[in-house]
Amino acid sequence: MPKMTYQLTRRGFLKLGLASGAALSFMTVTLGVTSLVNNQTASGFSYLRSQDIAMLNALLPVIYTATVTNNSAEQTTQISASLIAIDYNLAHLSPSMRKLTLQLFDLITNPVTRGPLTGIWGAWSTASPETIQHFLNRWEASRWTLLNQGQAAILQLARLAYYSQPQSWQLCGYPGPPNLG
Amino acid sequence: MAIKDVFLEGVKAGWKVHNASLFTKDQRLEADVVIVGSGAGGATSAEILAAAGLKVLVIEEGPLRTSSDFKMQEATAYAELYQEGMARMSKDGGISIMQGRAVGGSTLINWTSSFRTPAETLKHWADQHEVSGLSEETLKPWFERIEKRLGIEPWPIAANANNEVIKKACQALGYDWAVIPRNVRDCLSLGFCGMGCPANAKQSMLVTCLPASLQKGSQLIYLARAERLTFKQGKVAELECLALDARGVETTGKRITLKAKHYILAGGAINTPAILLRSQAPDPYKLCGKRTFLHPVNFSAAQFAEQVNPFYGAPQSIYSDHFQWQAGAAGAMGYKLEVPPLHPAFAATILGGKGEQNAQRMAKLPNTHMMLALMRDGFHPASASGKVELRSDGSPVLDYQMTDFTWQAMRRAYLSMAEIQFAAGAEKVFPVHNQADYMTSLAETRRVIDGLDLAIHRARLGSAHVMGGCAMSNNPKLGVTNSRGVHHQIENLSIHDGSLFPTSVGANPQLSIYALAALFADQLASGFEA
Ligand SMILES: Cc1cc2nc3c(=O)[nH]c(=O)nc-3n(C[C@H](O)[C@H](O)[C@H](O)COP(=O)(O)OP(=O)(O)OC[C@H]3O[C@@H](n4cnc5c(N)ncnc54)[C@H](O)[C@@H]3O)c2cc1C
Ligand code: SF4
Repeated sequence: MPKMTYQLTRRGFLKLGLASGAALSFMTVTLGVTSLVNNQTASGFSYLRSQDIAMLNALLPVIYTATVTNNSAEQTTQISASLIAIDYNLAHLSPSMRKLTLQLFDLITNPVTRGPLTGIWGAWSTASPETIQHFLNRWEASRWTLLNQGQAAILQLARLAYYSQPQSWQLCGYPGPPNLG
Repeated sequence: MAIKDVFLEGVKAGWKVHNASLFTKDQRLEADVVIVGSGAGGATSAEILAAAGLKVLVIEEGPLRTSSDFKMQEATAYAELYQEGMARMSKDGGISIMQGRAVGGSTLINWTSSFRTPAETLKHWADQHEVSGLSEETLKPWFERIEKRLGIEPWPIAANANNEVIKKACQALGYDWAVIPRNVRDCLSLGFCGMGCPANAKQSMLVTCLPASLQKGSQLIYLARAERLTFKQGKVAELECLALDARGVETTGKRITLKAKHYILAGGAINTPAILLRSQAPDPYKLCGKRTFLHPVNFSAAQFAEQVNPFYGAPQSIYSDHFQWQAGAAGAMGYKLEVPPLHPAFAATILGGKGEQNAQRMAKLPNTHMMLALMRDGFHPASASGKVELRSDGSPVLDYQMTDFTWQAMRRAYLSMAEIQFAAGAEKVFPVHNQADYMTSLAETRRVIDGLDLAIHRARLGSAHVMGGCAMSNNPKLGVTNSRGVHHQIENLSIHDGSLFPTSVGANPQLSIYALAALFADQLASGFEA
């Protein structure tokens, strides 16, 4: 098993990806077995782990471009509110949908798979907005429906979390629910 | 104005309502009839059977949320009141599937449109699926009874701007349109039906049939999942249920074993066939879970100079069936045109687009109009259809495969919607697809629509109407139940929910489900007397 893990070069992934639709979850299982994945949840969260938070801290501002403010203090508040909302949503997913989502996070945070799959070769915290946008575009345009699905899932989670927060409503002209008194 | 929380008052007054997440030990209970699911089919059946003097027990996997909990917030409503925390989707992720999961089922969060089963559909079932006894005439008194029960009437108040677009354009283009009947009483026209009605105006099962049935002494156990049926001598012997935690996500380890003379499955399509599959119920012709339909929906967005405010007002009040039956029931696929309510989080996921593009689309939300086309799947052999499978943990997932025949109808629907939106005065129209954006002329929009690569993950697709998978038919080779909803192989087991339909309905399904469940429950009750 460990040998398998380290064979996951770019070409190895291509082969796997084309060979089997189950490739993504298969690889994650392999990674899980070799305990490369940290499953410890981050403090204050029920499901998100520190590597997920590092990834989301880099990814969310790119997804929210033109909506988050340039004011860094405000931006931090908005991103942390979204992290809390994502964690809350994860807590309410069915166990199997949650598992799939966390497996997706594993794939894009794990140092072994992150580079070949996302084109982000260093840590998420050092990735430029351009590389991150490139990763999202690449997954969206990919011929592998698994990557399309992964990209859609990430955007879905991020946007549901963001636009369900009252802080975002002024950006979309939504006055909020009426007051029933 | 304080709103009376009808359900909580009943609980206080002593209704037998139990929260299974609090059970500290296993339970064994008996009843005349056990009903799985407290939604459209389950609650309607419960009211009728309880009124007939039977001891009824309803089991529901979702939580209990009542009017005082409904704060019109997307942040909590989707996570708490929808199947799989709103993340249910077809197996390949191509179609988002919305279904309710709470006491009251999908009726708690549906948009209140109430249509009788179209005559064409009933005829098609009789002609092609060997369904008998469900003609327009037999069902008429049942529709009338439910319409009276749930206050169903064509919406008497002016449509909101989002719905008005259909009316205005169809009048100009000479297309059919009509006002939608809604199941509401004293509706405040707030527009938050999809998050639970805070005014108890929507006549959902939570405020109608469930209270009536509890008032007659029925029991309701919520946060408990019907896991599997056990069989003895060709009959259901028991139903095994698992208690869930307060979120309704994980099992607590406590079991509830139920024994009854008759069992009714009303967990809704996808979930009802899943119970039968988990139970390895007899299925000699391998029909269970197959032919599941979605009324898959594609979307068209438009921007208007004036405000549409698509988040306020009765969510659905005008529709067009102009394209529904043009080629007959079994010809080229027809579609029904409606609008969805558009709140920010929901809108953001539909409008899509990359970073800045999404932000710009969202910034115009108050001026945005959204339209949807419901594909009438299942009437033609080349139609898309789905098959329920079990994941390794026993939970169901729907493998729904699109077909060229279905995509062709979607391409036509993109065009019909764009035509209608421009005819109503839209400045720009956006067929919701990754390769398209807002365009200012119908000619350009048509050209782009003609060239779209129609594939999942490119076209954004959704469904709020899951139907079929345990079809009725007099012929056991075609259906899981007979035309009275009774399982062909198991005589003390019935199905009373959306999974009964041999095809999609061709109209929003709730009234069809109420009527069938009422008729079948009535037939069942007379059988008990005999
Ligand atoms: C957002 C939305 C809007 C809609 N708008 C409309 C509309 O305007 N008009 C219309 O006609 N239709 C509408 N629908 C569809 C309509 O509400 C449903 O088709 C209808 O309620 C289905 O009835 P049912 O009895 O089959 O299942 P449901 O009403 O979904 O009830 C099934 C219940 O069973 C429970 N259950 C499932 N499995 C189990 C189990 N194993 N153990 C215990 N409990 C279980 C579920 O939690 C659920 O509460 C809408 C649906 C949605 C999601
Ligand atoms: S529109 Fe009417 S039925 Fe819907 S939530 Fe508002 S008051 Fe309730």
